Amino acid sequence: MTLWAVSLVPLLLAAVVYLLGRRLGRAGLVLLAVSGLMMVLVMVGLAEALGVSSHYVWSEAMTLGLAMSPAGRVAAVLVPLVALPIVIYASYHDLTRHGDSVRVGSGARLLAMLVAFVGAMELLVLANDLLTLLIAWELIGACSWALISHRWGEPHVPRDATTAFLVTRFGDLGLYIAAGAVFAGSGGFGYDDLAQLQGGLKHVAVAGILLAAAAKSAQLPFSAWLFAAMSGPVPVSALLHAATLVSAGLYLLVRLEPTLSAVAWFAPVTIAIGLVTAFAGSIAAACQWHAKKLLAASTSAQYGLMWIAVGAGYPGAAMMYFIAHAFMKAGLFLSAGEAERQVGTFDLARMRLGRLLPGVAVMALLSSLALAGIDPLGAAWAKEQIIAAASDVGTWLALLIIPVGGLSAFYATRFQRLSYGRPPRGDRHGLPKGPGPSRPEDWALRALVAGTVLLSLLWFPAVHQPLMAMLEMRAPSSHVWMHLVSLAFIAAGVVAGLWLTRPERRVPPTTQWQRLAAQWYGLPVATQAIASAALACSRGLARIDDEVVDAGLRATARVGTWLARFNATRGEFIGDSLPGALARLSERGGHWARQAQSGQTHHYYTGIAAGCVLILLLLWIGALL
Amino acid sequence: MILTLALVIPWLGALALALLPGWTQSQARWVAVGSAGLSLLALVFAWTGFNPAGPLFQHIDEVRWVPSLGVAYRVGADGIALAVATMSAVLFVAAILYPVDTRGQPRQYYAWLVFLQGASLGVFLTLDLLLFYVFFDLTLVGMFFLIGRWGHGEAQTAALKFFLYTFAGSLLMLLGIIGLYLSLETPTFDMRVLIAEQPLAGTGAYAGLVFLALMLGLAIKTPLVPLHTWLPQAHVDAPGPASAVLAGVLLKLGTFGMIRLPFAMMAETFARYALPVAIIALVAILYGALVALGQSNLKRRIAYTSINHMGYTVLGIAVAAALVTDNPMVRQLALTGATVEMVAHGLITGALFLISGSFWQRTGDYALDNYGGLAYQAPLLTGFTVLASFASLGMPGLAGFVAEFQIFTGTFAVYPWLAVLGVVGILITAALFLDMLRRLFFGHLPTHLGQFSELSRTEWSVLGGLSLGIVIIGVYPRFLLTLIDASSAILVGGR
Repeated sequence: MTLWAVSLVPLLLAAVVYLLGRRLGRAGLVLLAVSGLMMVLVMVGLAEALGVSSHYVWSEAMTLGLAMSPAGRVAAVLVPLVALPIVIYASYHDLTRHGDSVRVGSGARLLAMLVAFVGAMELLVLANDLLTLLIAWELIGACSWALISHRWGEPHVPRDATTAFLVTRFGDLGLYIAAGAVFAGSGGFGYDDLAQLQGGLKHVAVAGILLAAAAKSAQLPFSAWLFAAMSGPVPVSALLHAATLVSAGLYLLVRLEPTLSAVAWFAPVTIAIGLVTAFAGSIAAACQWHAKKLLAASTSAQYGLMWIAVGAGYPGAAMMYFIAHAFMKAGLFLSAGEAERQVGTFDLARMRLGRLLPGVAVMALLSSLALAGIDPLGAAWAKEQIIAAASDVGTWLALLIIPVGGLSAFYATRFQRLSYGRPPRGDRHGLPKGPGPSRPEDWALRALVAGTVLLSLLWFPAVHQPLMAMLEMRAPSSHVWMHLVSLAFIAAGVVAGLWLTRPERRVPPTTQWQRLAAQWYGLPVATQAIASAALACSRGLARIDDEVVDAGLRATARVGTWLARFNATRGEFIGDSLPGALARLSERGGHWARQAQSGQTHHYYTGIAAGCVLILLLLWIGALL
Repeated sequence: MILTLALVIPWLGALALALLPGWTQSQARWVAVGSAGLSLLALVFAWTGFNPAGPLFQHIDEVRWVPSLGVAYRVGADGIALAVATMSAVLFVAAILYPVDTRGQPRQYYAWLVFLQGASLGVFLTLDLLLFYVFFDLTLVGMFFLIGRWGHGEAQTAALKFFLYTFAGSLLMLLGIIGLYLSLETPTFDMRVLIAEQPLAGTGAYAGLVFLALMLGLAIKTPLVPLHTWLPQAHVDAPGPASAVLAGVLLKLGTFGMIRLPFAMMAETFARYALPVAIIALVAILYGALVALGQSNLKRRIAYTSINHMGYTVLGIAVAAALVTDNPMVRQLALTGATVEMVAHGLITGALFLISGSFWQRTGDYALDNYGGLAYQAPLLTGFTVLASFASLGMPGLAGFVAEFQIFTGTFAVYPWLAVLGVVGILITAALFLDMLRRLFFGHLPTHLGQFSELSRTEWSVLGGLSLGIVIIGVYPRFLLTLIDASSAILVGGR
């Protein structure tokens, strides 16, 4: 029951927040939402202490099960922990925008959905079978739709929300198929049933799960939906990338890794997808001028690295980097939100707010350093673990992903310098100074950055060894020389980033190639093309349905009408004239017969004679035959 | 006795409304609500008295009528019939309560609605094949007048098309029924005898022909592609509550008939033709969803999603009928899923059609392009539409998911490829509903909608009731699944 409460408390609380929101005012709202998330943390602790798994029976065949798992233990704490500052930030950043009461109403919706999102994510984390997983999986998709379309008044926003929902739901289909395969093979839906699956069904199930994970994790070829998701408010992006929707894909792989890796092709496919996404995403981020989209592309790339770690057989390393990424990415999104409020746009070419917001700039810097993977931050340690994991597959793989680290350092520097760098000498920013971050916003950001900094402790074996033991996952053995090579690449990335973003430098016009890379190599266009094709196809079918399929029916009706009319005219005429003609014929016969009755004897004798001749003639013919 | 009550009360109500003049609008409505509600109460009572471990049919009443022909008044219900009948009664109460322009003839309007309720419940609850046919056709009469007299647009044409097309289907089904009847050694219309004896097992071509006649007749009613073209027009021109009943109840007569007649009475023949039926269902799923996506008329779009959803139901039935697998659990899952889909689709699409009725009452316009930005103006309407849409696209936590998940899982075990292709249907459904929501409620508010009013109290309480049902089935389906599983286990031979 405690396990269910972990996800039910926020889900139910979300309803309360939404319904009471308009009356409570901001303080009450924040208090309610925050206390809800606190309660989740307490519930997780309680569930941990009680150590139970729990079932909820739907029917003989379908049972929903929850259980605490090693990876789930970490994720279940991390999700509300990261959500907490984000929710506080949201209630100040997105509610004060216009300061009127209408905003509080829509703010209540935003907070409610954020809290519900956490609840659905907790359900996903605790799920112990594919049915429960699928339920949570679809619920977080629906939450993301509602959150991305938060500012529904702008026509493009709901369209983007639909895109994001549909792309991720395409992945969900994989889970439907996986669940079907597991049931066909074992008669149940549990993760343990999945583990015991044999033969072709196992391949199908693993492929379905991989598809679902890739779509949610924004791996290629599904990465582009993350750009569409950027139409949502800043806190939504932060939560989406750090702790919920995008992380769900990775979490699923980590949770099921022992089972999935039993299929021979799982490791190479996962590594390949991760590697390609890591490179493509890094380059896309390096070319991107939209602050949030830069971070979004980097998210795909960073999750790509985690995929490689899972593929290499070290889900623990992926999990560690997942934690570090959650804090730094949330921090970066929140700081990007502050920058946007100052300049009214996410265009990196128009920011450089270091002087204006020095406090935020420092926070952003710490998060950027983590993204760049610079020692001694915890993110650097976790990234080194991933490189070590990759080297377990082959040194070539480690050497392939080290440049990805260099690219990360490059775009992290670029982001930091362009958004919160020093403005060019003499440029005193002509724009009016917007309201600075409120104190709660500041504290929310600081809390996330504190997390990032605190994770530096991971470098100490006394900290990371018990953590790995808790995850019940092994750590890869690292090599010093690889770390040095990696640091060299990172240094090169930082230097290149600094050089290209020096304040004196005019922003050069982007080349076509850069624009293409920044837009995910045309993936959004391709997605759009598929959608348009489907729509055109459906319109065509609709026309066919009206004009061709229904035509059969209309033709039948026409034939019926024609037949009726034919019968009413010709048919009736024939039907009427046939008995009429017969009547006239018999009448004439009768008339003629009456003429024979003349009363004169010689007429009768002639008749008799003719009759006799006729009879004889007939007899003679009969005799001849 | 309880089922007879459920059947008779609506007809008594209809009779009272038809014969006693002088009812005002609200009096007439309350008489109708009262009789429909009492009938619902009787069904709920029957539900609570249903023993899941008992025999297939329970609450049986039998009165001798024409013994020489084997015709008798026989009613009784299995879990499937009880679930669908109760859902229907709920929907009738909702449809009667929902405000509508009765064009100054409230007495007649409500009389036809409760008459239709009696006839529909008759189809679900009778155990006599001849009565089944009679009730089946009587529903046509009720719906014909509801569309023709209270519809809009080309109501007369739509009503006539609906009547003639589905009546042709009924006649085919009658042929099938006679074929079944004559195949018995001592002919009787008693369904229990027919189910027990399986008279056409092993008779080859004759069984095939009877099966074809029955399935064609029922497929027109369901409707399956390509026999569906009466549906969109009937929906578009019918008043909102009548549309809700048409989609929510009358379409179920087709799929319920498939379970009751070909599935239960000629299992062997159905097993032989299960794959073609499943393929046609798959075509209906994908075609219905795609054509719905291509519609720019609110009501036509919802109407085509019915074709898609009834496709799921037929897919579930066909899978349950297939004997490819020796695992009765899988077939039971599919049959239960098909039944839950009937219940879920009834409530969900019923709600959606009532909502479209609200749109018509306010603007007289179904063109999606003429709407937009209503979320701020009418938050309750938005909320209920979002809920119903997400339920229809199969969101977990709502009724549709429970059904579709079971159908897909069952299908995968029997016809994996059909399941893989079939799930694409839920993606298209998601696209079409999200697109619909976007065009109705988001973006800019057109100036002519400045006066668009929020749902009235009656409207939102009715929609609230239906939504509650959708949510309860979504999160606590056990009460429904226990009832349905009791019968589907027996029907697939698992118990």
